Amino acid sequence: MSLPEAYQHEIQALNRQVLQTCPSDILQFCADFFNSRLASERAASLSIFRDRGTPSPGFAPSPRFSPSPTSHFAMMSSQFSSPFGANSNPFGGSTSPMASSVMHSVVEEEENDHDHDHLAPGGPFFSGAFGGDASTEAPPTMRAPPSNDSYPAQYNFGRRTSVSAESLKPSADSYDNWTPPFTEKTPEQIERLKHAIEGNFLFNHLDDEQSAQILGALVEKPIPARGIKVISQGDAGDYFYVVERGSFDVYVNACGFIEPGPDGLGNKVGIIQAGGSFGELALMYNAPRAATIISAEGSCTLWALDRVTFRRILMESTFARRRMYESFLEEVPILSSLTPYERSKIADALETQKFAPGDTIIHEGDPGHSFYLLESGEAAAYKGTEKVLSYNKGDFFGELALLNDAPRAASVVAVTDVKVATLGKNAFQRLLGPVEGLLRRTRYQGVKTGVEEMDPLQQE
Amino acid sequence: MAAATLAEAQPGTAALSTGMASPSNPCTDPTLEPLPPTRKFKLSDFKRVRTLGTGTFARVVLVRPANATKPLQEEKNPEVYALKILKKTEVIKLKQIDHVRHERAILADVAGHPFITKLLGSSSDHDCLYMLLEYVPGGELFSYLRKYRRFDEPTARFYAAEIVLVLEFLHEQQGGVAYRDLKPENLLLDQDGHIKLVDFGFAKRLGYKDDRPVETYTLCGTPEYLAPEVIHNKGHTTAVDWWALGILIYEFLTGYPPFWHQNPMEIYKQIVEKPVVFPQEPVISEEAQDIIRSFCTRDRSRRLGNISGGAGRVKAHPFFRGVNWDDLLNRRHRGPIIPPIRYPGDDQCFDVYPEEDANSTAYTAEMANKYDRYFEDF
Repeated sequence: MSLPEAYQHEIQALNRQVLQTCPSDILQFCADFFNSRLASERAASLSIFRDRGTPSPGFAPSPRFSPSPTSHFAMMSSQFSSPFGANSNPFGGSTSPMASSVMHSVVEEEENDHDHDHLAPGGPFFSGAFGGDASTEAPPTMRAPPSNDSYPAQYNFGRRTSVSAESLKPSADSYDNWTPPFTEKTPEQIERLKHAIEGNFLFNHLDDEQSAQILGALVEKPIPARGIKVISQGDAGDYFYVVERGSFDVYVNACGFIEPGPDGLGNKVGIIQAGGSFGELALMYNAPRAATIISAEGSCTLWALDRVTFRRILMESTFARRRMYESFLEEVPILSSLTPYERSKIADALETQKFAPGDTIIHEGDPGHSFYLLESGEAAAYKGTEKVLSYNKGDFFGELALLNDAPRAASVVAVTDVKVATLGKNAFQRLLGPVEGLLRRTRYQGVKTGVEEMDPLQQE
Repeated sequence: MAAATLAEAQPGTAALSTGMASPSNPCTDPTLEPLPPTRKFKLSDFKRVRTLGTGTFARVVLVRPANATKPLQEEKNPEVYALKILKKTEVIKLKQIDHVRHERAILADVAGHPFITKLLGSSSDHDCLYMLLEYVPGGELFSYLRKYRRFDEPTARFYAAEIVLVLEFLHEQQGGVAYRDLKPENLLLDQDGHIKLVDFGFAKRLGYKDDRPVETYTLCGTPEYLAPEVIHNKGHTTAVDWWALGILIYEFLTGYPPFWHQNPMEIYKQIVEKPVVFPQEPVISEEAQDIIRSFCTRDRSRRLGNISGGAGRVKAHPFFRGVNWDDLLNRRHRGPIIPPIRYPGDDQCFDVYPEEDANSTAYTAEMANKYDRYFEDF
């Protein structure tokens, strides 16, 4: 394929300039040349934007961007390619799995810096192009001089590659049985593992059940000798590791993978001790490993967790909980007029709260703003000191709060450890619109549910 | 591990017939949703002009009829197309079978929307899958954004508004299609400066099962644009596109996305933990800040676009005040940037890519036996 015409045009112009000027610093000269070319091209294209047509409401028609010798697009994203290669964190994985080789080039700050000289702020470029402001005639650069803003010098301005993990479908959907793998651990081991992952954003939002399943799923991996490569830079990554015993050296080769030869591992950039962890990006998707990890002593032990197990545990529990909420919601008479779609939106918005035995979930006399589903445990309703109702899993209370803000007619107290799923009237309306239209489609009265003949929590 | 994940992605290993597909002979695998029929063609019907873009397992090339003789620049009304070529081996290796089937099915369903590239035909041969698409000569919005560094608000509003119309169509009129890879790289400009959404590689029809809307769990997208619920694997819905639109408007107005880092794990950490902050320069208007924050709301039960009113609520946001949505949908006015297209088949708005693939693995008879059932109705 021949070089683009526009490119050849530029190179010839550069050649003429070099011949004329005989610069001593060739590279700097070329950089300056292209920067000034870019600036003049921008100015040219902007002056065309400025001469736009008659404004119309909303978007005025745009001016014709007539092709001119300067209006080629030779300078595009390619100049900004300086991506994730210079990742300093050996554990995160630097490149996306689909990154091409260009993604391994080292960040060259100049590439980003040189543009600061020509920073024309975005504002004037098109202002009025369809905004209807036709009053300014001065060139854009005069209207707002380039400002030295905080354009991030380190940002990778290249094209970003998409990432994707394996498809996951909840087992309830595919009718197969799946139980997470389980490896027995001592209470001390569990404590150490908990400690190792507690600060990590991939784990710190998990509920108790999910945490327990994930801690159970970690598999012991003995590393019997010194010098064993646990992961190799550039390889596919499927596992996350926590160090139980021993220590590991971290090596990074700037080229992105292990090269042949004695120094092929690259530079040693760190040590990971017991309690540390590495390879967490593998829990997201399969990305090339950003570093090589080698055992630094004999008889080390690791705990390993693979991506599919991790993501599947999260998926199955989320899925199961959502289906549980949806089935609970189907039983709430006040919500019976909702479509499955609307109920699903509600299920998605429910928030979990926990109460210890004896805690009061709602107080008699307080204004009611939320309704509750009892997810686990037992609770009881009291009017004054008199117990009027017992609640078990799947029961609900306070749902009339969705219709009005009337004071609670009773208190509800946790009898055991209790988990409730709750939703406020505001959230309800935010999701589905005014309750009046939705919940009063059918009159809510005298529905026999066994739990709430009439809401005992609402005063007559 | 590899074995387990493979089984996840491609349930079942039974070898089925591997005959070439024809529109009258839809997929023989009853467990697969058959793909909507399309016009078929042979690779030899076309000749390659040059590559317009490359992905991990796909390449998009500008093609013209094999018998065309006149130089492209001399043709007043040239027949040119964008041909997307996917290698079966790579599709299998990267576990993208589900995704390419979704892409092909959805593109066939949505063909004709003014802001989506139109699928004109599809086909497959021994090694590759093909999708023939209309050629959109203006190049990627990404290129213009990087060139101008950022857009002013009227410009950003114009593109954002067209995207709102696309998302409204996909989410609300197409039975819950989530696009899942919104970013400037996937938006092309046509000759009048209007948006064309391309690359439906991650698009998925979520639809309904047992009367319930289905959420999906497969992590996919582009790191800077992933929604928090995707990172946390909480199950995601069309709400991820509204999150991404917030990120996109931010990037339009500042030139870079709100969450970025050289280490992708740091990006994800920011997405799930940090608020969107705006730079002092350029000054972002209150309305723009508000719509970005409303889209980039971690709790999707509060996220604009996903809350009551859906896309209608988005259109009513003050950021879009003054937009005539009907004019917009009917493309009554030209866009803020008119691409410098010299003739209809001009390819100068696209960057230049290497024409050869680095190294490719053969699609073996064994693979064909195992996997061709997923490709035969392509």
